[in-house]
Amino acid sequence: MSATDLEADLTEDERRGLELIRETRGIHQSDFWKQLDIGSRKGSRIAERLAETGLIKRSDTVYEGHNTYFLEPAARDLEFSLLMAGDMLSPYIGEEEIDPKSDAFSQWLMNLAYDEY
Amino acid sequence: MAFEDLLGDPVIQKYLHELVGPTGMPVAAAPPDGEVTDEELAEELGLELNDVRRALFILYENDLATYRRVRDEDSGWLTYLWTFEYDNIPENLEEEMHRLLDALEERQEYEQNHEFYLCEVCSIRFEFGEAMDFGFECPECGSPLESMENNRLVDAMNRRVGELREELNADVTG
Repeated sequence: MSATDLEADLTEDERRGLELIRETRGIHQSDFWKQLDIGSRKGSRIAERLAETGLIKRSDTVYEGHNTYFLEPAARDLEFSLLMAGDMLSPYIGEEEIDPKSDAFSQWLMNLAYDEY
Repeated sequence: MAFEDLLGDPVIQKYLHELVGPTGMPVAAAPPDGEVTDEELAEELGLELNDVRRALFILYENDLATYRRVRDEDSGWLTYLWTFEYDNIPENLEEEMHRLLDALEERQEYEQNHEFYLCEVCSIRFEFGEAMDFGFECPECGSPLESMENNRLVDAMNRRVGELREELNADVTG
C-alpha cells in the first residue's frame, strides 16, 4: 500500500499526531501526547500505530531522566536536497568507502561554499 | 508507471542516474507496475538486452529491484521476473545523508586544524608541511605559494553539518 493510502486510513487523532511529528521534524513521546492534549496511553497507542504503518520512526531514548520514545518522520519525508551542493550529488553515492579527503569531495565542498551558499 | 511521487523528486532522478548511468537511465526512470522480464523491458524501451540487464543488476545490488526465477516448462529455460522496489529509495538516501554527515565532520576537523598554501597559477592547494618542503614554491610552475584562508569552506561545512544533524535528529538518535 502506498503512503497516501495508509494516510487515508488514519483516524482523526492519528492524523493530527502525524502532522505534529512532521511539523516538529521529531518530538519525544512525552511531549507528543501533551501537545495533542490527549492522555499518555492514548498518545502511546497512536505513536505505536503510526510506527507500525511506517509513516514515522519510533526509537527508544532517555529524555529529562525518563525512558521514552523519540518520534520522527519516516525517511520519505526527509529533505534529500541536503545531499546536493549546487547541482552536484554527494560523491559517496555508489561508492563503498568514504574518503573525506578525496578530490571528488573537495569539488563538492567548493560547490557548496561558492555556488550553494 | 509506478512510484511517480518518488520519481518526481529531482534528487531521486539524479541518484538513479548516478547508480545506473546514462544508458541504464531509461530502465531506472520508468519502473512498470508488477513483474517484468528483461526482454520485455528491452523491447519496450528499444534498448540492448545487455544494457537492460546491467541496469537491473545495479538496481538489485542497491536493494531497488528483486527477481524471481521461473522455468519454462516447454523449453526448460529460466526466465527472470523482475520487480522494482523503489519504496527502499528513501531509506537508501537517508543512509547516504548519514554517510555524507560523517565525511563532513571528519573533513571539518582536517580543515580547521591545518594551514593551507595555494599556487594561484595552477590552483593547487598544499598543506603547510608540504609547502615548506617545496620552499614555498609551486613544484609545477615555480610560482610563490601564498597563504590561503579556508574560512568560506569551513563556514559552508559548518552550515551543512548543522542542517544535516537537525534533519536527521542526529543529536537525539545518534
